[in-house]
This record gives sequence, structure tokens and C-alpha cells, in this order.
Amino acid sequence: MDFWYTYIVLAEIYVLLGLSTNLLVGIVGIFSVSQAAVFGVGAYIVAAATMNDTLSFVPALLIASACGLALNVLVTLPSLRVSGDYFVVTSFGIQLLATAIFTNWTEGTGGANGLPGIPPPDIFGLAVTETRQFLVLSSVLLSLGCLAFWLAMRAPYGRLLRAIREDELAVAAAGKNILFAKVSAAALAGAFAGSAGGLYGSFLSFVDPSSFDLDASILLLTMVVVGGARTLTGSIIGPFVLLALPQLLALVDIPTTIAAASRQLIYGVLLIAFMLFRPQGLAGEKL
Amino acid sequence: MSAYLAVSGVNKSFGGLQALHDTNFEITKGKITCLVGPNGAGKTTIFNVITGFLPPDTGGVTFQGRSLDGLTRQQIVHQGIARTFQNLRLFIDLTALDNVLAAIPGQAGETPWGAIFRPFHTAAVQTRMREQAREILDHVGLADRANDYVRNLSYGEQKLLCVARVLATGAELLLLDEPASGMSAGALDNIMALMRRLQTEGKTLLVVEHNTRVVQRIADEVLFLHQGHLMAQGTADEITSDPELAKIYFGGAI
Repeated sequence: MDFWYTYIVLAEIYVLLGLSTNLLVGIVGIFSVSQAAVFGVGAYIVAAATMNDTLSFVPALLIASACGLALNVLVTLPSLRVSGDYFVVTSFGIQLLATAIFTNWTEGTGGANGLPGIPPPDIFGLAVTETRQFLVLSSVLLSLGCLAFWLAMRAPYGRLLRAIREDELAVAAAGKNILFAKVSAAALAGAFAGSAGGLYGSFLSFVDPSSFDLDASILLLTMVVVGGARTLTGSIIGPFVLLALPQLLALVDIPTTIAAASRQLIYGVLLIAFMLFRPQGLAGEKL
Repeated sequence: MSAYLAVSGVNKSFGGLQALHDTNFEITKGKITCLVGPNGAGKTTIFNVITGFLPPDTGGVTFQGRSLDGLTRQQIVHQGIARTFQNLRLFIDLTALDNVLAAIPGQAGETPWGAIFRPFHTAAVQTRMREQAREILDHVGLADRANDYVRNLSYGEQKLLCVARVLATGAELLLLDEPASGMSAGALDNIMALMRRLQTEGKTLLVVEHNTRVVQRIADEVLFLHQGHLMAQGTADEITSDPELAKIYFGGAI
């Protein structure tokens, strides 16, 4: 049973992260490949704060969320100046920079060895130690995330963001503040990614740079593409499908070294196949 | 009394090309002014300068006695000037209604926190805004296309939607860039009637137009622009009957 719970909790955390990526990449059209970096910052903040008993889980998660927000605003600021292809390269650089810091700042992040022994969340004195309990926590947070995403997208704000993706000049001609809309979308996406990171670290009780590298960012984009861009349903389906893959591979009797490689291979093939044959993903709109 | 909109001494160069050369003109409130001239005369550049899409090199624009110098595109719309684009620039993946809604100013729920923390207020205001957007669509004759995606509208309908979108901003001075180009005869009558109707409702229109028949039928005043400079100003008949201007227009004299 724990096997399933673990799968669902991880998938839920990735859905929260997927919402963030979908908001930025799918809806506003800021093609960021550095969302895993923001995810990582959230994870390390909660890990460091709760390990030293500096803070308990709830305030640590709030701080992770706030830092994700601030960081994402900073990293997406170049997108307001450079557009399209140029921004992809900029955000690629930001992702590499983040990985370098995660790997080399040994005192803060434990370097390549990571940070083991992150305590389980403690919600106002109630320790969340079992996977079952964690499932409740992640489901509650994800529901809040989905509700926020849904409310924002059905409101004029969602329409404004879609309009910006289609034609920024026309939105400007209508007298709308583009800068504000983009920055606030980045902030919202950052808050989502930061809290997803915090959950991730406390759930696994261990974080290391490999979860937050460029591969992770690409995996996130694959989730959005496979699930479907710009829709809530798509953001939910993508992570559940893609995270099921390693579980399925685990059932097949192949050596672990090959399993890891074949997983990457399958992700790659899926990404290409969806782009070519079903750009709208399983439940989304064309990217 | 100062002019409603005054463009004074505007120069604008792109590299070696002088698009606007000491351009001066004024337009009167409540009138339909047509801006004519051969291709490359600087008509669209004038629109870009007035609406803040391009800063002039020298000179400036005043609207109702207030200078527009240094104002952002957004602030200029809030002053009451809105424009359409020659190449439409509609949001083709949104419905006609959403295109209009996207241009209505000051809606609740246009910020993430408004949308997330005040959902009921946002929804209530949206219901009102939708009503308002429907009225605007009805006004331009697109009421039955409200829920259709823009890509499914005909070219003529898309042009009407552009007018609906500038109306949604609530601006008083509408800058229309070739609203009648490429339209069939029937659609042409429609858009001319619409422009007249907007005028009777108190809007002032500055219209770039190539079709002399349209100009003759709608223009109260015509501005003739040539090589970025105002060559003549007068009624449609005065301008169209001037042989010198006709020569320039049809490419005779340089």
C-alpha cells in the first residue's frame, strides 16, 4: 500500500510544480527551463530550517514559498527584456548556475552528497511521520494550489495572461499593464514551485542536487507537454503519467543501470512523439 | 480654445529615413478626420507617436491641452486615446467576447490576489462586464458572434471586432488604421455607418484611409500627408479635386 501512497504523494508534489510551469510556460508563454532551480531552493530552505530546529515546518514552508516567489521574479525579469529564444538561453544559464551552487556550496546544501535526515513535517505539534498522513497533507496543499490556479485562470487575470501570450502589443494598446501581469504570474509560479520543493524535501527526508538539475526541468516540461498545456486537468494528468513510468519499469526485471537509461530514453521519445503527433497533450491546448 | 489633439513639430527618423518631417496638425473634437497620403507618407508612424508606441525625436503631442510627452502607452489609453492596428492584432485563440473583455479597463480580478482571494466579487463584476461587452459587440453588429473564436470570423467581422475592442477601452478619441481596407461593398457600408454612429455618440475619429470614396463619404476634414509632412488640409472635396495632390497620390510627382 505504501508503494501507492508514495507514488501519489510524489505525483501530487509534481502536479504543484507542474501548475507553476504550466502557468509560466503554457499560459504566459515565458519559456523557462529553470523551474527545477526554484523547486530546489524551496527544498533546501525547508531542509536547512527544519534540520537545525531553526523553524518548524509550517513557517519554513511559508518562507520557502516566499523565496520561490522572489527568486522566480528575479529569474524571469530578463524575459521582460529579451523575448522568446533569447530567454530560453538565459533561463538555461540560470539553471546551470543553480546546479553549480547546489553542488558546490557544501556548508549550505551538503554538496553532491546532499542533505540527509530532514525531519518529517510537524503541523502545529502534530508529526506527519507516516506516508498515509503525508498523503493527507500533500492532498490538502495540492487542492489549495489547484483552487488558486483555477480561480486565477477563470478570472480576468487569466484572460489577460492569455492575451499577452498571443499579442503583447495589442494588450498594451488596450491600456493594460503588461509588466505587472508578467511579474505577478512569475511570482505566483514561484510561490507554487517553492512550496512544492519544501514538501518534496520533507517527504523524502533527503535532498541532493540531482533532483533539481536541468534534467528535472526538462522532465517538468515533458509533464506539461504530455499532460497538456494551459489546463488544470493537463497539469494534473502529466505528472501522474510520467511518474508511473519508473514504477512500471521497476516491475520489469531489468538491471537498474539500464532502467535509469531507458527511463530517460522513454521520456525523450514521449516528448518528441507528443510534439509531433499531439501537441495539445492528453488534456490541454496546443503549446 | 486649444485644439482637441495637436501634433506639433514632430520629427521621427529611422536610421537614415525621415518618416515624419516637422509634422503639424490639429484635429477637432467630435469630427471624423481622415489621414490620407501615399504609402510611406508616415500615417502609421503618426499613430505610433500619438499613442506612445514610438517616442518622437523632437516635437510633441497635446491632448485636450495636456502634453502626452513621456506618458506610457497605458497612460495614454487612460487619457482617452485608443488605436487599432492595420494588421488587426486580435487575440485569435480567444472568443470575440473575450477580445472585447480583455480591453475593458479596471476590472476586479485582474490581479492574481484579487482573482484568488475575492472570487465572488470577481465573478459578480465579471457578469456585469460580460453584459457591457455584449452591448459593445451588439453595437458593432457582432452580437451573434460573441462566443465564436476570432479565427472563425470573416475578415470583415474581424475588422468590426477591432473597433469593438477600442470602444471597450472607453476612449473618446479613436485612431483607426485602415478600418475599411480589404472589405466587400456591403461590409464597407456597415463600417462607414458605424463610424458615423460613433461620431453622433460623441467620439472623435482619426482614420487612416486609402479608399477615396470612403474618405468622401465620412470625412469632415482631410489631412494630406506626404513624406512625413502635412501638405494640405481641407474638406474631402477640396483635397480630392486638387490636381497637384492627386499627382502625388498616384505617384506622379516626387
